Amino acid sequence: MNRLTKVLSQNKENNIKSLVAYLVAGDPCEESTLELLNGFALSGVDVIEVGVPFSDPIAEGPIIQSAHDRSLKNGTNLKKILKIIKSFRKSNSHTPIVLMGYINGFLANQSEFSNFSQHGVDGVLIVDVPGEYSLSDIGFQNDSILSVSLISPTTSKERVSDICNASSGFIYYITLRGVTGANKINVNEIHENLLTIKQSTDLPVLAGFGIKTKEDATEISKLADGVIIGSQVVEMIKNSASNKDFKKIYNYLKEIKHSINL
Amino acid sequence: MSSNYEKNLPNQEGYFGEYGGKYVPETLMLALSELESTYLSVKGDLDFQKEIDKDLSSFVGRPSPLYFAERLTKKYQGPKIWLKREDLNHTGAHKINNTVGQIILAKMMGKSRIIAETGAGQHGVATATVAARLGLDCHIYMGAEDVQRQSLNVYRIKLLGAKVHPVDSGTSTLKDALNEAIRDWVTNVDDTYYIIGSVTGPHPYPMIVRDFNAIVGRELIEQANNNFGKNPDAIIACVGGGSNAIGIFHPFIDKDEVELIGVEAGGEGIKSGKHAAPLNDGKPGILHGAKSYLMQDADGQVMSTSSISAGLDYPGVGPEHSYLKDVGRAKYLAVTDQEVMKAFHELSELEGIIPALETAHAFAVLPEVCSKMDSSQNIVLNVSGRGDKDISSVASIEGINLE
Ligand SMILES: Cc1ncc(COP(=O)(O)O)c(C=O)c1O
Repeated sequence: MNRLTKVLSQNKENNIKSLVAYLVAGDPCEESTLELLNGFALSGVDVIEVGVPFSDPIAEGPIIQSAHDRSLKNGTNLKKILKIIKSFRKSNSHTPIVLMGYINGFLANQSEFSNFSQHGVDGVLIVDVPGEYSLSDIGFQNDSILSVSLISPTTSKERVSDICNASSGFIYYITLRGVTGANKINVNEIHENLLTIKQSTDLPVLAGFGIKTKEDATEISKLADGVIIGSQVVEMIKNSASNKDFKKIYNYLKEIKHSINL
Repeated sequence: MSSNYEKNLPNQEGYFGEYGGKYVPETLMLALSELESTYLSVKGDLDFQKEIDKDLSSFVGRPSPLYFAERLTKKYQGPKIWLKREDLNHTGAHKINNTVGQIILAKMMGKSRIIAETGAGQHGVATATVAARLGLDCHIYMGAEDVQRQSLNVYRIKLLGAKVHPVDSGTSTLKDALNEAIRDWVTNVDDTYYIIGSVTGPHPYPMIVRDFNAIVGRELIEQANNNFGKNPDAIIACVGGGSNAIGIFHPFIDKDEVELIGVEAGGEGIKSGKHAAPLNDGKPGILHGAKSYLMQDADGQVMSTSSISAGLDYPGVGPEHSYLKDVGRAKYLAVTDQEVMKAFHELSELEGIIPALETAHAFAVLPEVCSKMDSSQNIVLNVSGRGDKDISSVASIEGINLE
């Protein structure tokens, strides 16, 4: 069974809410990314989303945008990211990894697709491809890689089921209208929409965009199978970039993991 | 020649051949399908057409004249050279043809807030203008570098009551203004209408912007017939995103005898890599919601561009142009900044028309095009806009102090 499916379904069986944490590969540098992957896993993170930097990340707010910029300045590309993940797999064979990026970056490196699973990637999330397309629809033939799709507050009911049918990893519910890191969560709306999605699929449904505090995380975890933390972690990585002391981030992640499983 | 050109594109999914589509963050998918269904439901509606036609004639000043450029014709001793005068439109460029139409769609959809991106500032001005008429809240995104080099238009936008948001991410030019406008739209999608300024972006924009600009080509069919009794032998237009070009090309696409020539910004020369000519020197990729030719590196990162004109300084191009290139129905040339400056002065001095720097690109291919044609033939250049906005940058390029 795919690592991603295994971890999320085991957590569900045991009534554990999952924590997904995001970072941008190569920010602040390749070595730190490897260290952070291991550190995340040891801090209770169940799934790691590895951002593939792109020159024009239209779904990102300022925090993640500038992380993409820093990473590109370091010369990060998909090949190097796969190498980092391969190294990570030497010490960790259980934490699933989902690559998150933009279609043009993946298509330009189409020859790498076949290497994804062998390097230890478990799923792919492409931000700017409509969720009803499967990975093979866009030229990505690799049965062992799962597809994670986004559903937003504006997704129509008809499309929710199409998107669920084309997805295989989990459903990523976007908690707000906005870019990553924005700040206007509406709990009632989230509740209603998550119910609709769960009627369409047995896949785990996780929620993210704009979750920062323990209180937000607790609230959302009552409704979803888990939460995704992005901008807050990326901001903390930036603030620790000079001394490369990531303890604060690990403590934060432990607290979030605790706050979603009260 | 164009027998392999498919008619009635884009198809239902928004593709011109392999180009186009809808590659956007999920939050925008609903807004795009609402826009598409609104547009398709009113497109053939007589009242809708009447409302647009009324604005085009009484507010924009259409039809724009077709002018015979006698001294240019004499200079090149080739075909008769005719100019389609979009520079005479209200606000000074073809961009208003699109905004007059899209603002009606915004009104129908009940949107209270208007956003747009702009490069040269012409689309920003044209958007602020139509928003002012309806009293709508209007926000224009513009690259910080373009805010500098098109400062006159920045001030015009402010006078019209809109807010200009300088964008200093990425390369601080048109591409980044589009990124920021899309981010605004994702955030405010419920009450906001995004008026894209060229035939770029996700479906249905390339179709809608084309249809609103096609008035230029439709007028030309009649004017050409009245003036020289047949269709032009060639039509030439500059290509940034490609809206003025597709607008004048489109009604002629199925008329095989008419050669269609687009001119991209060659910057410091194609070989230098410092240009904005994706159809000449790019490969297919996906940016801002559509698949099209794109200037990108081996990893798919979008490259920075270089052009003397802010309105052409964009690494992508509308998907329909990529299709027209691949099927061979249109051809796309590139000219350097230096050639553009020469053409800018030539048109000013020979015909008394100071063109926008974008527009001057179309004129810079005259030596090449005219040398292969004779006096029995007629060519039409689209004068997409006037040069008032560029006067101070031209002066500074040439080391002249206007203070
Ligand atoms: C006068 C003029 N011509 C041409 C363009 C390029 O746009 P397009 O290729 O969409 O016509 C611009 C854009 O700002 C412009 O202002």
